[in-house]
Amino acid sequence: MKIALTASGKTWDSMIDPRFGRTEFIVIYDEETQQLTVIDNSEVKNEAHGAGTATAQKLYDLKPDVLITGNGPGGTASQALKHLNMKIFVDAHELTLKQAYEQYKSGNLKEI
Amino acid sequence: MQSNNIHEIVVLSGKGGTGKTSLTASLAVLAGNDAVIADCDVDAANMHLLLRPDFGETFEFYSGELAVINQDLCNQCGTCAEVCRFHAIPQDKNQYQINALDCEGCGYCEKVCPTHAITMQERRSGSVYISKTKVGSTMVHARLDIAAENSGKLVAKVKNDAKAIALAGNKHFIIVDGSPGIGCPVVSSLAGANYVILVTEPTMSGLHDLKRVHAVIERFRIKSGCIINKYDLNKEQTAEIKCFLREEQIDHLADIPYDSIFSEAMIEEKTIVEIESPLKQLVGSIWEKVKEQLTRKN
Repeated sequence: MKIALTASGKTWDSMIDPRFGRTEFIVIYDEETQQLTVIDNSEVKNEAHGAGTATAQKLYDLKPDVLITGNGPGGTASQALKHLNMKIFVDAHELTLKQAYEQYKSGNLKEI
Repeated sequence: MQSNNIHEIVVLSGKGGTGKTSLTASLAVLAGNDAVIADCDVDAANMHLLLRPDFGETFEFYSGELAVINQDLCNQCGTCAEVCRFHAIPQDKNQYQINALDCEGCGYCEKVCPTHAITMQERRSGSVYISKTKVGSTMVHARLDIAAENSGKLVAKVKNDAKAIALAGNKHFIIVDGSPGIGCPVVSSLAGANYVILVTEPTMSGLHDLKRVHAVIERFRIKSGCIINKYDLNKEQTAEIKCFLREEQIDHLADIPYDSIFSEAMIEEKTIVEIESPLKQLVGSIWEKVKEQLTRKN
């Protein structure tokens, strides 16, 4: 399984970014290889408008199985993500990436 | 970065003219130096009139793009002017010129220019300020240049700066004056918020816009409470709003009567809690209720 997390930093100890569209980084954890991959999202962050759909487009290219984020994608981005076979878990924004991943594994995160 | 002890409150109205900024500024005065204030209503920023910030630090803000023509490379073919649907490239004294007020930054002209005379450059859209308010708190606010518009990017910048200042200064509250409507800036202002205060008035459009903005808040699962301002001007409409609040389980924070003190305070560049009146107690009780909701674990 490939897990994508919206992150305000690049390591397991960074906090989950509550923002979906303008998240600082997208961190991908591949459970098979146990590798973390960090994707810088600053070019999307600097768009005046349309950040949600731009980040949704990135996820299309990355094709993770699961997304863990904070407040969750807004209306337009959600509409776009419907066509991607990806589970979305939300309200993880007071947690570090590590805590969020553990909470997801133990089934404590809310799925939308 | 731990943010657990900071409570972020966003004030929204959907409709303009409900008293949102007057009430936000009042809460800011009541919270005093334990709050960082973020003015995200940047299209018509006016909270500075009540909180008298000192415009201490200024930063330029760039957002969007603007087409620029290098006249040395331009062969006057006019293709750019033909494709520009915003009519932003008039010909003046035999030269094609970009009208910065009309250019939307779409980049079509850059794509079609046969001599590559057009480049897209970052556009300065305004200034962001970090100020001290008259009550000693820090306020992050912005002023847009002429014809520039608010954006999710600008709101994110104002909010992120406010958050960093609150963390560094061990503050307990961030109070955000949100933008009107339900668009990109409103969505951006909600990220990371712990509570939303909705300010409405008893008119049809007041209720209509309250419903629209509530639908956005609900998507992000943020708890909210509502203030019905000028409630006594239309009691039937007030009853309808209360009915909506019950159905949606929105906290009913207070009914505020119509009172000319709002205008009198504004003329004196004061908030309504700086003038002795029953309204001062009422707004004080709203602030206590909000604090209680924030500290309560669901």
